[in-house]
Amino acid sequence: MSRIEFRNVRHAYPPPPGQAPVYALKEVSQVWEDGGAYALLGPSGCGKTTLLNIISGLLTPSEGSILFDDNEITQRPTADRHIAQVFQFPVVYDTMSVFDNLAFPLRNRGMPESQVQARVIEIAEMLDLSDRLKHRASGLSADGKQKISLGRGLVREDVNAILFDEPLTVIDPHLKWQLRSKLKELHQQIGVTMIYVTHDQVEALTFADKVVVMHDGGVVQVGTPVELFSRPRHTFVGYFIGSPGMNVLPCRLDNGQPVFANNLLSSGYPADTDLSGKLEIGIRPEFVHFASQGIPVAIEKVEDLGRYQVVTVKHETEQIKMIVAEDQLIPSENPQIQFDPENLRIYCDDWAVGADGA
Amino acid sequence: MNRKWVVPTLYILFLMLPIYGLLSMSFKTTNEILGGFSFFPQQFTLANYIKIFTDPTWYNGYINSLIYVVINTLISVSVALPAAYAFSRYRFLGDKHLFFWLLTNRMAPPAVFALPFFQLYSAIELFDTHLAVALAHCLFNIPLAVWILEGFMSGIPKELDETAYLDGYSFPRFFVRIFIPTIAAGIGVTMFFCFMYSWVELLLAKTLTSVSAKPIAATMTRTASTSGYELGLLAAAGSLTIIPGAFVIYFVRNYIAKGFALGRV
Repeated sequence: MSRIEFRNVRHAYPPPPGQAPVYALKEVSQVWEDGGAYALLGPSGCGKTTLLNIISGLLTPSEGSILFDDNEITQRPTADRHIAQVFQFPVVYDTMSVFDNLAFPLRNRGMPESQVQARVIEIAEMLDLSDRLKHRASGLSADGKQKISLGRGLVREDVNAILFDEPLTVIDPHLKWQLRSKLKELHQQIGVTMIYVTHDQVEALTFADKVVVMHDGGVVQVGTPVELFSRPRHTFVGYFIGSPGMNVLPCRLDNGQPVFANNLLSSGYPADTDLSGKLEIGIRPEFVHFASQGIPVAIEKVEDLGRYQVVTVKHETEQIKMIVAEDQLIPSENPQIQFDPENLRIYCDDWAVGADGA
Repeated sequence: MNRKWVVPTLYILFLMLPIYGLLSMSFKTTNEILGGFSFFPQQFTLANYIKIFTDPTWYNGYINSLIYVVINTLISVSVALPAAYAFSRYRFLGDKHLFFWLLTNRMAPPAVFALPFFQLYSAIELFDTHLAVALAHCLFNIPLAVWILEGFMSGIPKELDETAYLDGYSFPRFFVRIFIPTIAAGIGVTMFFCFMYSWVELLLAKTLTSVSAKPIAATMTRTASTSGYELGLLAAAGSLTIIPGAFVIYFVRNYIAKGFALGRV
């Protein structure tokens, strides 16, 4: 087990001849503390898988270095790094039995056969594979195979980290929930660093202590689920986390306070007046309320989601979403809204500004 | 009433007719064959087969053919395995063009190459050896083998390779211990096609040999003209040439369809 550190890591895949390289990973410096449960969250194609493959050594980064416990390992082969990785789609050794598949990583590291037996049986028990140990792995269904992949990732206890690359994509929903809590439980038991890639925010927020949000090849924010929710540092985080995502509205500044369509607002995080660039305010739908005095809006749509309602309103050309308790009446005449100053933030070129912002 | 069986049965009968003709001729005497058509042998004889199994000029033909066919299949597959792996896993400058142009050797008839091969092998004293024929057939079989194997290999996700590295295997160990068993079906299909091509190819095999490596097909062409007609003998020899192919296809029968589905066979 060890602490993993990225120093100015950049990576570009080899471009087609005659074209400039496109960086899949743009300058990442990041420390993964030993024993942490991290979720790597971001849309498809933002560099999540590239980042994992750099940790495990399947890719060597174009620039920068990776350190395990302060030892440089950038050029070390995968087998030396003692990383377990589970891929999105099942990978099993078709020619071996389920037991041999699970035992494979252990035997390769020279573990005595008696211990292999005990460990494999334990893992099989956990993943509900006990009755199929003797079968050939090739005969299993997709989710059975994926359980083997998971099992092979979890079977070694002496790994530096376990990387999951959207491991539950092919698993049935009810089993998904169950396996995710198993993983979480296991993390608490053995305390090995786990990095879990997903583009599903619920999955990320339930699994991880720390969520790393990636966007367009870079890390935009690292934080606990609560931090990501209440203090998004980048408009992308606000928009990607939460359902519905944060409202991002154009604004200008007046003495550090935002002005949205000629309505002076107040923010708990005022900015320096002399900012230039694209200025926006971000406010989560949870913190938009109907009020007797505020910004006049027109109601466009009300969606009743059971425990709450999502109301879409419009001010001039800007749409604003708000969350309203299920028993609250929606004003029918001349509705006006207010933003919660404590949760209203100013963004300049997509990055948060003000007190604890950038 | 269910008549689904009619068409397939007719088709199979149609296919089997020439083979039956050959087989029934092989149990006839040459005089009977020349005398007129009969559906069953009138004077049933095993003399043709006995002659083939006792006369070295005949049975050596089979042995020679089998030797160069096996050498050729082994060379083709062992050379094509790494090549196909490279084409399926790595991107390099001109990879797609190279992959396509591998097939150029198959665009010309073998006869084109007979003369250069003859001259070359005579110069380096490979003429009339099994290796000469095996190498000449590689010219056609290696590109084919690379194509078939590449199809099978690309069907295996590259995560399998990566998982093996994560599990502590080096590349050579992974290739031999995991990858080759995984694509065993593909290798079987490839071997079958190499075997069949090399087994039925006559022109190069005949040109590049004279006595000590003379293939069975060459022996058969000559027998027609020496001591008059020996049609019964020829039919028996012909029947026997079907056996190795039938034997090999039996082993890969389940995988051939997969090869066709990949569009590579």
